[in-house]
Amino acid sequence: MIQHFPILSIMSLFLGSFLIVIFGGKNRFIRNSLAVLFSAIPLVLICCLIKPILIDGEIFSYWMGDWEPVSGFAIGIGLEVDALSLFFALLVVLTIFLAAVFSLKYMSRDDALDKYYTLFLMLGGGVLGLVLSGDLFNMYIMVEILTFASVALTAFRNWGKGSLEAAFKYLVVGSIGSAFILTGVILIYAQVHTLSLAQISALLATEGLTPATIFGFALLFAGYATKAYIVPFHPVAADAYMTAPSSISMVFSGMVNKAGIYGMIRLVYMVFQAMSQSAMQYIIVILGCLTMFIGVTMALSQHDFKRLLAFHSISQIGYVLTAVGLATALGISGGLYHALNHTLFKGLLFLCAGAVFYSVGSTDLDKLGGLAKKMPQTTIIFLIGAFSISGLPPFNGFMSKWMIYQAAYEKAALEGSFFYALVTIVGLLVSVLTLASFIKVTQSVFFGQLAPGCEKAKEVPFSMRWPMWLMAILCVLTGLFPGFVNRYLVVPASAAAIDTTGYIDAMMGAGYGQQLGLSPETALSLEYELTGYWDPIAWLVLFVVLLAGLMISLGLGKASRGPVRRPVPADPKYDTFFGGEASQHSHVGGSDLFWGLKHNLRHYFRFMHSMHSGVVNDYALWTVAGTAVIILFMILFL
Amino acid sequence: MQILLDLFYVLIFPGFLFCAVVGLLLAGIDRKIVARMQKRMGPPIVQPFYDFFKLLGKETIIPHAASRGVFIAAPLLGLVSLVVMALFIPVFGFTAFSGVADLIVILYLLTIPAAAIIVGGAASGSPYAGVGISREMVAIVAYELPLIIVLLTVGKKAALDGGITFSFTEIQAYQAEFGSMLSHWSMIPAAVAMLLVIPSEVGSHPFDVAEAETEICEGPLVEYSGSLLGIYKLNHAIKMFILTALFAALFLGGAGSGILIVDVLLLLLICTVVTILSMSLPHAISARLKVEKMFKFYWTLVTVLAVISLVLVWMGF
Amino acid sequence: MIIANYIGAVLLMFLGLYTIIMKKHLIKIVMGMCLMDYGVNLLIVSIGFNPGGTAPIFTISELDPGAFFVDPVPQALTLTSIVIGACVMAMALSIVIKIKQKYKTLDAGRIRRLNG
Repeated sequence: MIQHFPILSIMSLFLGSFLIVIFGGKNRFIRNSLAVLFSAIPLVLICCLIKPILIDGEIFSYWMGDWEPVSGFAIGIGLEVDALSLFFALLVVLTIFLAAVFSLKYMSRDDALDKYYTLFLMLGGGVLGLVLSGDLFNMYIMVEILTFASVALTAFRNWGKGSLEAAFKYLVVGSIGSAFILTGVILIYAQVHTLSLAQISALLATEGLTPATIFGFALLFAGYATKAYIVPFHPVAADAYMTAPSSISMVFSGMVNKAGIYGMIRLVYMVFQAMSQSAMQYIIVILGCLTMFIGVTMALSQHDFKRLLAFHSISQIGYVLTAVGLATALGISGGLYHALNHTLFKGLLFLCAGAVFYSVGSTDLDKLGGLAKKMPQTTIIFLIGAFSISGLPPFNGFMSKWMIYQAAYEKAALEGSFFYALVTIVGLLVSVLTLASFIKVTQSVFFGQLAPGCEKAKEVPFSMRWPMWLMAILCVLTGLFPGFVNRYLVVPASAAAIDTTGYIDAMMGAGYGQQLGLSPETALSLEYELTGYWDPIAWLVLFVVLLAGLMISLGLGKASRGPVRRPVPADPKYDTFFGGEASQHSHVGGSDLFWGLKHNLRHYFRFMHSMHSGVVNDYALWTVAGTAVIILFMILFL
Repeated sequence: MQILLDLFYVLIFPGFLFCAVVGLLLAGIDRKIVARMQKRMGPPIVQPFYDFFKLLGKETIIPHAASRGVFIAAPLLGLVSLVVMALFIPVFGFTAFSGVADLIVILYLLTIPAAAIIVGGAASGSPYAGVGISREMVAIVAYELPLIIVLLTVGKKAALDGGITFSFTEIQAYQAEFGSMLSHWSMIPAAVAMLLVIPSEVGSHPFDVAEAETEICEGPLVEYSGSLLGIYKLNHAIKMFILTALFAALFLGGAGSGILIVDVLLLLLICTVVTILSMSLPHAISARLKVEKMFKFYWTLVTVLAVISLVLVWMGF
Repeated sequence: MIIANYIGAVLLMFLGLYTIIMKKHLIKIVMGMCLMDYGVNLLIVSIGFNPGGTAPIFTISELDPGAFFVDPVPQALTLTSIVIGACVMAMALSIVIKIKQKYKTLDAGRIRRLNG
């Protein structure tokens, strides 16, 4: 029975979306319970798979309609669930379930909600199908389904500022990416005449890469990179994350771009086994570094809450990609750990943005302020998320970023390559900039003066708060117990990512690879130790000290409000925090927190601003040009 | 018993009390030296203690426009992270929490006091503070880049058999065996870069763009008074000690004498010398840099110095 | 003359990409997406084509090892891809209609409220 769980979990999402179309149109209760039920079922089913796959290390293969391979040739469509797939599947089902619960209240002021939940479950089914699939074309289908659903959901609040144009840009760039994926699939098919990932992997390993397969591979790589929104494919992501409802933004950054990352990992590590070549490592690491740097610098100059979070999301994906591109055991583990953390903290931050939008009705940083008094719980949750993404110890972002820095620097030592030392420097610098940027957001949204228009804000209802609390607690737990997370989640998944032989044999029958003359390669060792020593529990010392400090300060007790109690006139000149760009009222320069930085790097920022012009043709051009560069690079150096 | 010992570490030595006293002492020495260089008498060396206790006794006024909680919490946050850092920086062989110390942890912790200044300034609701925090942000980004490179350089140099390390314990072990980092000529540019990073991290004179009293009335601190201002002054003093001790741990470490008291005295001596070199001297002889100049200075000259060391270390010197 | 098909497919794809990148009119951009799709579809069926092969429709008893037929898999792929393409077009055009209502223009250069 448990063999059927993967397909059942995918089916339940699609079935749910189908049933909501039929029965959910009229009755609110039926619609909501269908949505929650059919997003909870996959969560349960996938969690049942943790024991056999992640702990016992089995690999599930499942042929649809029992079309097993005939004389060593895969003719059916297969699902294959190894630890890597399951790792991403867990992220997907968790995100889907929490987002569904959050949506119940969050979306309750919109109409046409049956369409919303239909598309929502379709999106979930698409991503889940992608990560569990063992078939190259099936992956393409799922990519198309998820792109389609994402576009529709981006445009869902079509009364909002820019949601339609965001959807259109997303659709154009997304369909260019999809077309590249399809071309790649068909080029690979023309070479090996099969679509099963396992068989392609075995055949390519024995026959070696020809220019045609490299071309196909480059197209596939670029296509999935489009779905992961790495630079230069990223501008549409910022638009889409910003304009979609927050529950959907969470789904986008929590799992849709993970789907792209998953596709890239699967392709480069397993199907094409290209990661042993240093050229491949270089291009992935370069793309990752560009993504994290450009993402974070663009975030500095945003003044919309969600758009800023969107650029941070892009930047964090850069970390994941860089780590994965290092092709060392510690690198893969760090990357996957960061992917997990990114799903948690970025989902959390987007939900906070949603909560703010729900109670205030705006995400414009210039119009928000002082919400900590009105929404204390949301503020605490946001702070946990902000600490996590900035990588402050002992939250989870610290652990994964630490692994990534160490992986990059060790790689540099291992290869004697100065390039990877620079990568470490970029990583650390980006982390500092992330912290800087989150100081600005925290200040201008939650602290500082109560902005006009925020007086009536209330704490969001409990059904919105508990998904946020759950993710916040997970953020803290994954930070405090890295050993546990590593042992049961990250290390099995990283081992699966490099265990090509096991993957092929599970799908095509034992010994299939050896028949073709493929020697069982020595798997990359997952033995690593962290230099230095990290004991999060010791950080509780910090909180003890903090507590003591606060006690002392309360004892000081001489604070007063001062004699002057004149109300402060409502003039932007006197605003507590200058986060915004409404600087024309201010007589002193530098009303913007990053004024000095932007002034010093003005050429860079001007250039970046013109790159993100908002014109769809430009974005299409960056996509095509990026793909062309990737193809050229791979054909020349692979 | 262990708890009592930990409490002793946190509150007395090398935690709160120790670094507060040493920090204030260093601040006093700094003021005295600067004064002497400028042919003034200068205040007595214990003047910072008087200032601190006087401020504790004064009324703390919280401005109407400020957001009260953050305004009070920000200086405390900075103080706490500084004290925690003090626990992790080794005094030659001795660390209070052995093994926990780590370069990357230190790097993250170092940003928190600066962030606390920004947060506190932003919460105070003054235009001067607004300008000040913007400048502080520039300063952070400016000195963080060379600091990262310096730390990575040390992390590479201290590792044996071609690897890397981020652990203070290993850095101390390396220096105990092969002599202090400063005795390796390839590390000298990095040490100079670190010496230049220290004043800006502390916010001392030629690089105190954020607090520039003469231009923007102490920027982020403009609205602070009484005990909260006292805590900021204390933070400033502790930061002097922490960064000079960090310099000592990174570049002048070693086995020490094995006797804790002697080691501590030696550390204090080093700290004083570094303070004079990196803070008093530039303070006495130069005027405050402009914000843009400062950014350029750190991202060109200081970074280049650090990178030279990094390259040399990577080439195996 | 299967080579003509390949050339045609590549030409169609490039034409589509050119249209998407260079044309400012939203409807033309959608047409470019269509062209690209058609190019890919043409490529897929051409790859599955064996000159002289029969249609791949057999019952189990008819199938013998010597049978020579065109590859059925790409044809199935093409069908799927055409269906997906049609859905995407419908979606794109409906978004274009909404954009026209809201922005009163179809010029891509003026639909750029989200930038920077």
